[in-house]
Amino acid sequence: MLGYLLTAAFVWAVAGSAYRLIVWARTPSTLPMPLTPAPTSRVGVVGRLLLELLTFRALARADRTTWLASLAFHYGLLLILIMHLRFVWSQLPPSLVPFIGLSGWATLMLIIGLSVLLIRRIVIDRLRYISSPSDYLHIILLLTLAASGTAMKRLWPVDLYGVSQFLQGALRFSWQPLPESLVLVVHLSLVLLLLFVFPISKLLHGIGIVFSPTLNQRDAVSAQTRVLSGSSHSKTRE
Amino acid sequence: MSTTEPDNVALNGPVVGRYRVIPLIEKGATAGMRPAVASKDVQEALALPGTLVADWQDKAIKRLGQLVKQRRGLRVFLDNCTKCGACTDKCHYFLGTRDPKNMPVARQDLIRSVYRRYFTLAGRLFPWLVGARTLNKALLQDWYTYFHQCSQCRRCTVFCPKGIDTSEVTMAGREILASIGLGQQYSQEIITKVKSIGNNLGMKPRALADVLENLEEDILDDTGVPVRLPLDDSRADVLLVTPSADFFAEPHVDGLIGYAKVLHQAGVRWTFSSQASEAANFALFTGQHDHMRDIALRIRNAAVDLAVSRIVIGECGHAWRVAYSYLDALVGPLDFLDPAHSRVEHICEVTHQLLTQGRITLDPQRNAGKVITYHDSCNVARGASMGQRAGGQFRIPRELLAASVPRVVEMSADTTKQKTFCCGGGGGLLTDDMMAVRIKGALPRAQALQSVVDSDEVTHLVAICAICKTQLSSVLPHYGLQHVQVTSLHHLVGDALVL
Ligand code: SF4
Ligand code: SF4
Repeated sequence: MLGYLLTAAFVWAVAGSAYRLIVWARTPSTLPMPLTPAPTSRVGVVGRLLLELLTFRALARADRTTWLASLAFHYGLLLILIMHLRFVWSQLPPSLVPFIGLSGWATLMLIIGLSVLLIRRIVIDRLRYISSPSDYLHIILLLTLAASGTAMKRLWPVDLYGVSQFLQGALRFSWQPLPESLVLVVHLSLVLLLLFVFPISKLLHGIGIVFSPTLNQRDAVSAQTRVLSGSSHSKTRE
Repeated sequence: MSTTEPDNVALNGPVVGRYRVIPLIEKGATAGMRPAVASKDVQEALALPGTLVADWQDKAIKRLGQLVKQRRGLRVFLDNCTKCGACTDKCHYFLGTRDPKNMPVARQDLIRSVYRRYFTLAGRLFPWLVGARTLNKALLQDWYTYFHQCSQCRRCTVFCPKGIDTSEVTMAGREILASIGLGQQYSQEIITKVKSIGNNLGMKPRALADVLENLEEDILDDTGVPVRLPLDDSRADVLLVTPSADFFAEPHVDGLIGYAKVLHQAGVRWTFSSQASEAANFALFTGQHDHMRDIALRIRNAAVDLAVSRIVIGECGHAWRVAYSYLDALVGPLDFLDPAHSRVEHICEVTHQLLTQGRITLDPQRNAGKVITYHDSCNVARGASMGQRAGGQFRIPRELLAASVPRVVEMSADTTKQKTFCCGGGGGLLTDDMMAVRIKGALPRAQALQSVVDSDEVTHLVAICAICKTQLSSVLPHYGLQHVQVTSLHHLVGDALVL
């Protein structure tokens, strides 16, 4: 049962996210609105987007605590996701193997980061004002996911080989039995929920940044310098 | 200090940049402050419904649905906020009013909640969970109020990790409001004037010619030099389009005299146009792209009619953003211009170029005794650049000032360049019925200014935006800063110019 649901949820998450991206991509971007100073070249724009995506630069400008907490949370999550690849890939690429040793740290980073984010959402009046129930629940969902995952690792170990057989089956439409474990059922149910909300919530914001016209447009006017100062590609205007 | 203190404004309070205090929120603090709704005549002149239409709810939702299909920015911004809170303490109106709906994210949420309710799966299924709301009368009222307590300055965008631009949201919001009969009198009336007469003031060509003639006499009396202020001169190479406030308002007009002196001294053949006697384009503020195009088109037409080879924009913040970023998209290509000047230029970059080429000479000693500081205007800082140099919008004005005045000091880096605070009067708020909000919104700028007045005895605050100049000179006295003179950059340049 969980197997079928997992397959369905996975398909839903991928298809739903793809749909959102297509909608964004197909909506016309009429008037230019880069936030200046903006890069003048496309390479520069890629650099700007990478900087925002990888270092959360604007957040660093805005608020150090949130920035550090977000970095800890997102990079913790990234490491954990990488570690989870061993459940769906029978042969983990050697380059990723060292990450497995970091699992304890990654979980710690994730939990501390999320806790700080949750606490400030509760404690700071401005944050309370702008938060909806879903904003708290997203954090709580991730925290309980982390907690159940840690419980499996430290308290009630499960048959990891069985889990990986089960997951690989669910992704390849050949469903296998799930090893007996209550925590595992809890953990996977939370994963189901996460996959369900992913494409219809704010959780897609990472990719959304790439579509943000303030960040992904270049300062084309300044870029005209190059055209004017006599480079090969002269203006194509009739 | 005995000054008239607006409530909520702590004059001897913390100074931005030294240490900053984020206020606690005060719900509904400015809920009652909103500008007058456009009259029937004005609305109808713009082919908009004269009063609130009966089926406003359906119409507004429908219009919102159309706009999110037409404007990618709007859709992505509505979808992409994580409520991280980074922007919550970055808006001058929030800092000045403490009203939580003036936090940029909360301002966006006024529309986002409706967008979620009607256009997203989660909002349709679980409205209570994701903060989705039905559009009702109270919310509509909030739309009108808080979309007009945003000067569309984009300071919040600088701090948003998703690059969300609140101004796109409030522009769309105002567009929707106008389309159901709730335009804003001030901005919409100006749009009718500029479209029918050629400038925001409704000044007819004859009156404009008289004003320019009088100014020519003033300059002659002052300097003994016959500096001309030509209007519709077909021999001109350069069309100068400037905000109409420059023609008569203080301290703007001294800036206008400065442009004329510089161009005269450099021997540039230039002219104003009666057809495009206004650089401002208030349709940017109202989000009405069709009007924005029409207004921009006057500039193109004037340039074609006068057969000029260059277009130069005077000291005006949002006009520069429109000219710099939008003109090509709206009415381009401007292929009739001289290929060496094929894009619209800013008066500051023109003056700067003349200075570097040695065609004008500036003597800072002529401004001896003045200690000045420079206020970056939001639309120039975050919506444009200048001079085809990285950061030109920050460097060119500062280099001109350094060449014109012996002493220039900087305000706190938290409040300048890309992080500049709006003067508090931009985005169509520069109207008397918004005075209370304008005063409160100027708080961060006033604090930063107070700080350099204390430390360096600053005497002049320089701006290159007509709105900034009017706003700052009218609100600074409320902060006990009436002795700081708000000044046009080209006033100082003109005074330093060796004629
Ligand atoms: S654009 Fe400016 S005025 Fe509007 S919410 Fe953002 S910071 Fe405030
Ligand atoms: S900074 Fe951006 S993402 Fe964060 S709450 Fe503000 S608008 Fe939303």
